[in-house]
Amino acid sequence: MEFRPAPAQQILISTARAFLREHCPPELAQRLALDAHGFDETLWRRMAELGWPGLLIPLEVGGSGGSLLDVILLTEEMGRTALPGPFVPSAVVATSLVLAAGSPAQQKRLLPALAAGERVATLALVEESGSGELDDIGLACAVPGRFSGRKLFVRDAHVVNDLIVAVRVGGGLSLVLLPVDRPGITRLPLETISGEKVFEVIFDSVEVRHDDCLGRLGGAAEVLAPALQAGALARTAEMVGGAQRVLELAVEHAKTRVQGGRPIGGYQAIQHACADLVRDVDASRALLHSAAWRMSEGRPAEADVAMAKAYASEACLAVARRGHQIFGAISYCEEHPLHLIHKRIQAATLEFGDSAHHLETVARTIGLAGA
Amino acid sequence: MDFDFTAGERAFAEEVRGFLRANPPETFAIDGMDAGYGSGANSRAFLRALGAQGWLTMCWPKAHGGREAPMFMKLVLMEELALAGAPFGPLAGVWQTADAIIEYGTSRLRREVLPAIARGDATFWQGYSEPDAGSDLLALKTEARRDGEYYVIRGHKIWSSHAGIATHGLVFARTSREARRSRGFSMFVVANGTPGMDIRPIRSLTGEVYHHEVFLDDVRVSAELMLGPEGDGFQALLNGLDADRFWGRFYKAPALERVLRQLVSYANTTQVRGVPLARDPGVRRRLAAIAAEIAALRLVFYRTGCLIRDSAPLSYETAMAKVYADETGQKLARLGMDLLGVWGPLREGSRWAKLGGQISHLYLTTLGHTIAGGTAEILRSSVAVRGLGLPAEPKVVVEAKR
Repeated sequence: MEFRPAPAQQILISTARAFLREHCPPELAQRLALDAHGFDETLWRRMAELGWPGLLIPLEVGGSGGSLLDVILLTEEMGRTALPGPFVPSAVVATSLVLAAGSPAQQKRLLPALAAGERVATLALVEESGSGELDDIGLACAVPGRFSGRKLFVRDAHVVNDLIVAVRVGGGLSLVLLPVDRPGITRLPLETISGEKVFEVIFDSVEVRHDDCLGRLGGAAEVLAPALQAGALARTAEMVGGAQRVLELAVEHAKTRVQGGRPIGGYQAIQHACADLVRDVDASRALLHSAAWRMSEGRPAEADVAMAKAYASEACLAVARRGHQIFGAISYCEEHPLHLIHKRIQAATLEFGDSAHHLETVARTIGLAGA
Repeated sequence: MDFDFTAGERAFAEEVRGFLRANPPETFAIDGMDAGYGSGANSRAFLRALGAQGWLTMCWPKAHGGREAPMFMKLVLMEELALAGAPFGPLAGVWQTADAIIEYGTSRLRREVLPAIARGDATFWQGYSEPDAGSDLLALKTEARRDGEYYVIRGHKIWSSHAGIATHGLVFARTSREARRSRGFSMFVVANGTPGMDIRPIRSLTGEVYHHEVFLDDVRVSAELMLGPEGDGFQALLNGLDADRFWGRFYKAPALERVLRQLVSYANTTQVRGVPLARDPGVRRRLAAIAAEIAALRLVFYRTGCLIRDSAPLSYETAMAKVYADETGQKLARLGMDLLGVWGPLREGSRWAKLGGQISHLYLTTLGHTIAGGTAEILRSSVAVRGLGLPAEPKVVVEAKR
């Protein structure tokens, strides 16, 4: 067993940390969170120069040829700084779908551009029910033909070039890949506490052609499952990175904030709270890395991913909330970095399966008889 | 990163499973109570069987009769034993004592005690706590006075687990008065039955005897039985406690995993108003959540195990892991009692007891786990001070009222 990242991964981590410290300071993350557009093209281009959007994509098609584990380690660093933008929806989830289901022509057209950060794509899955369960996806579509309806909670739809839309074609769950400027597509922003940009996407008699299909008609479930697992792990990595940052900020504060003649970290009440943060972060990270390693090795990881996301959701949110208590009043201010990380962690608990979803997966895998 | 075992470790795990199939754990005579930590009951017969396999000494240096197997083999062995519910109670303590004797024991200790450990004959009780020295160990009053080639020990130890059935005590005593409070302590390996030693059982809230108190009334021990440098025993003790937190809790995750499997099976086979308990959404979520926690706990211990293997510096890891293990155990015990409902409080052996009555036993024994071997409060402070660098609370000295 080896819990340490490999030397190349350690370089990836330290490069990312230095880059994000310089290019995504808390003030920028906060400004972009408050800004309606909230997408820093310069920052995205610089990330692309580092090869990040192409990390999952093989070298032969213009990517950086990394593993999912590499992506997870990088995403942890992004979570530290509450980095805004479409990395997870585009470079992790949409890219996974194109890699798994794209035709040679689609891959040739999309992968080099996705890797270069020149194209951005996102998955449109959830509908008015608010459910991310595949069985609850009902948007009907004929291929070829036209379809109408809507998707909710579509990440970064305002900056993407392509939408990957989960639809029912003759009852079978399918994916269609549509350019966002296809006539009949309207994007309306939802306003979130986290400042993450999510949209309602309305389809009004939108044309779908045969070559818009991503993967086999009726075959979406088997390609969505691993892509959603990768998305769940990436969101978990954001939570773990965010919680790690909260821990560091809280400990720093506990060492320097003096009340009653000594640093508040000299009081057991604060010491014990900080000790619990360490446990929550370490335990979450161990599950995350183990699950990401298993997926990268091509081993069955359904239970591991579910455990990692369910556990980290509870533990990392607890870290953020306890962080506020350690900081006291100052963390209630908009200019303080804690609340944005907290809100991002809260948002991450919900995407790509909330705790109820993942705990049900765990319940099944530990052998509990069917619900 | 690599979260799998090596081929050698997997082969050894298979060997251990084969041994357990050939020697079912329940066939070994039990000598002492299972305290719920995960290492099962005390069974000298089982320890001897492990000795006969060469597993007690496998990681020792060749010069002492070992075969210098990698330290991870011990983790593999303990995990398999815990998953099987085997009665390997004193194993971790035996290993730690052997390591200390190999590292800095006198030639007499090496000659007399190591072979007994190798056979599975020797087990040890810890003579650390005293009535007025619990979390504040340095307040201990037991003294060892030098008398020629001997020391004469006088004092009163308490909470010594299985002292009544062990062969030796590890007695921590003051050997000199020094300016620094933490100096002047030494450790002695004292055979049970040495004149002046009086071991009395303390009946626990489970109804069984686990702890003992030990009165030491001018117990005369050879200076050759001192373990470690004279006067510098406290640092050795702290190192030992650090190791104790790891080795004494490592097997908790697999042991809890075993209990979890039993609870899953119970939920699958128990009908409540005609519906299997396993279909209750609340039951499903609680069992799933604790399954994830047990998986995390296991990884936290393996991560610490890797640091120990690599001789990497430790600061907070063992303290954090111990609290985590003990609180997870308490959570699982509570969940088990909730699932069992009215059947939960029935004891082992009672009519109508479910799962052998072991959940009520776990419920009671786990209560003590966040107290024994360093309270959760002491350990959280240790994580904060040693691990995170927060300032220690100022000490306020108040004389205890007698």
